[in-house]
Amino acid sequence: MKFSIILFSFLVISPVFAADEKKPEKTFSQALEDKKYYYSALNEYFKETYARAIINDDLKRLEDLLYYTGIELLEDYEPSLLQKYPTSSTRFILGRQALQRKKYKEALDLLGKVHPDHRYFAEGKLLEAQVYDQQKNYKQRLKSYEACQSSAEKQEGSAQNEKIGRYYRMVYEICLVNKARHHFKVEEYKEAIDAYSKIPKKSYKWPYLLLEKAWVYYQMGDYNRALGLLTTYKSPLLDTYFFPEAEYLAALSYFRLCLYEDSLTIINQFYQVYRPRFQSLDGMLKKNRNSQAFFYNLMFKDGEDLAKQEEFIKQIVTRMKKQTRFSLDFNAIHKITQEMKRIEQNEKGVIKSKLVPHLAEVKDNMTAKINYNAKTDIFQFLEQVPFLSSELFKLNLEIISRKKDLEYANKKLIADRSRGDYSNVQRNKFEYFWKFQGAFWADELGDYSLGLKSNCQTVRQVTEEEGE
Amino acid sequence: MRIFIYALSMVMISNAFGQEEKVIYQYKKYEKFDLGNLEVKGQLIAPGDISVRERERRRFELDLFSRKDFDAFIKKDVESLR
Repeated sequence: MKFSIILFSFLVISPVFAADEKKPEKTFSQALEDKKYYYSALNEYFKETYARAIINDDLKRLEDLLYYTGIELLEDYEPSLLQKYPTSSTRFILGRQALQRKKYKEALDLLGKVHPDHRYFAEGKLLEAQVYDQQKNYKQRLKSYEACQSSAEKQEGSAQNEKIGRYYRMVYEICLVNKARHHFKVEEYKEAIDAYSKIPKKSYKWPYLLLEKAWVYYQMGDYNRALGLLTTYKSPLLDTYFFPEAEYLAALSYFRLCLYEDSLTIINQFYQVYRPRFQSLDGMLKKNRNSQAFFYNLMFKDGEDLAKQEEFIKQIVTRMKKQTRFSLDFNAIHKITQEMKRIEQNEKGVIKSKLVPHLAEVKDNMTAKINYNAKTDIFQFLEQVPFLSSELFKLNLEIISRKKDLEYANKKLIADRSRGDYSNVQRNKFEYFWKFQGAFWADELGDYSLGLKSNCQTVRQVTEEEGE
Repeated sequence: MRIFIYALSMVMISNAFGQEEKVIYQYKKYEKFDLGNLEVKGQLIAPGDISVRERERRRFELDLFSRKDFDAFIKKDVESLR
């Protein structure tokens, strides 16, 4: 609606500016584009074209403009307006919106029309796989992931700069990881491990995958390998990666090995150290729940300014800053700011007064978007804590129950604390073995395994009289 | 004649009511069993000593969270792109 009002007000003004131009054959938006005011030109382009029939040249121009501005801005436009422009970019964004509205048929139709050579084709396939997942069409979902991978790989090879190459690498890896997740869901654990292993250690995604791989090993019954992978998070290189679920999985794996004391140590640590910090943090964040800029500002707050209980925020913020979404949005804000400065410096008052307020509004929208995304990420992280707290409490009860049963049956576990042994390490022919010497080595990260023996065998307790 | 029939029927009805009132049910207040005298005929097939086969007690575990899919992770990854 906001856009429509701006659109109509500009519609009256734009012919006036067009008349001021030296070359009358050029429209106002083309003049702006020539001066590299891409964000202003995009808005003018829509005002000039939306009321008339669209020709192929118009569509080509739109794609050219979107190449510079990115498609993030289109999120603010009415879908009915975008439908008028049948380009791959608009179809991609409309397909994405249809998926969010759960209009799966419409989403498939729009995403299917993204051209195979287009820069959003790979990401379109990723979204298409999500639609198939919702429809429980797992065969098609796998096919879409494979198409996404091959397209992203091809585009990465022909990327014009390193940044674009990195974007395609990210899309490729997400599709590969989603394939691994698909295998996990259908209980093809070996295939899942193979797919996860294809992600290189220097990848941005890699630290996140340790937890997922640990779950796969857990489901395979290899608790030592699961624990070894989770140990990797203790490395100084990965100290910004804290996942409450990793603590839970470690406690659960120790429990499965009947190493109750180890499991209880993790549970107690969670209750005594992490939970109070989460609670104080929760209070602080909820106070600013409705702020339009608090979370945006938090993203740029110096690490030293954050209180001790905000340590987790620092970690989450560091992780969020590495996201493609943040880079795109922040880059857009930077480019809009630059464009505003150039208009302020080089243009006449009338043009300035018409272009700058619109750009300021777009910039505010982008800031609000970053603020919203940061808020969502932080609260989603905090929401896990009560759930995992209750799961750890259940685990605690289960351990107490097991211990009670042993006492009643006059039995005890075979050892108070199982010691590691090489014979308990399961490995394939491609996995080497070195002893852990108390230091984390970067090339070893993610390949750790504990050698703990299952302690689940019980022996009858010997009474004092029997002992004599 | 009519009078006679009425009189007869009245006599019969009054007799019937009179009979119902007289029925008294009584139950035994005390019964004695002499267990020593009771005899059961049959063959003794029970084992000589009492033995119980030991079996594992069925134990019920709490429904602990165990991840079966990463659907939420997939959604988050897609959202993290733009």
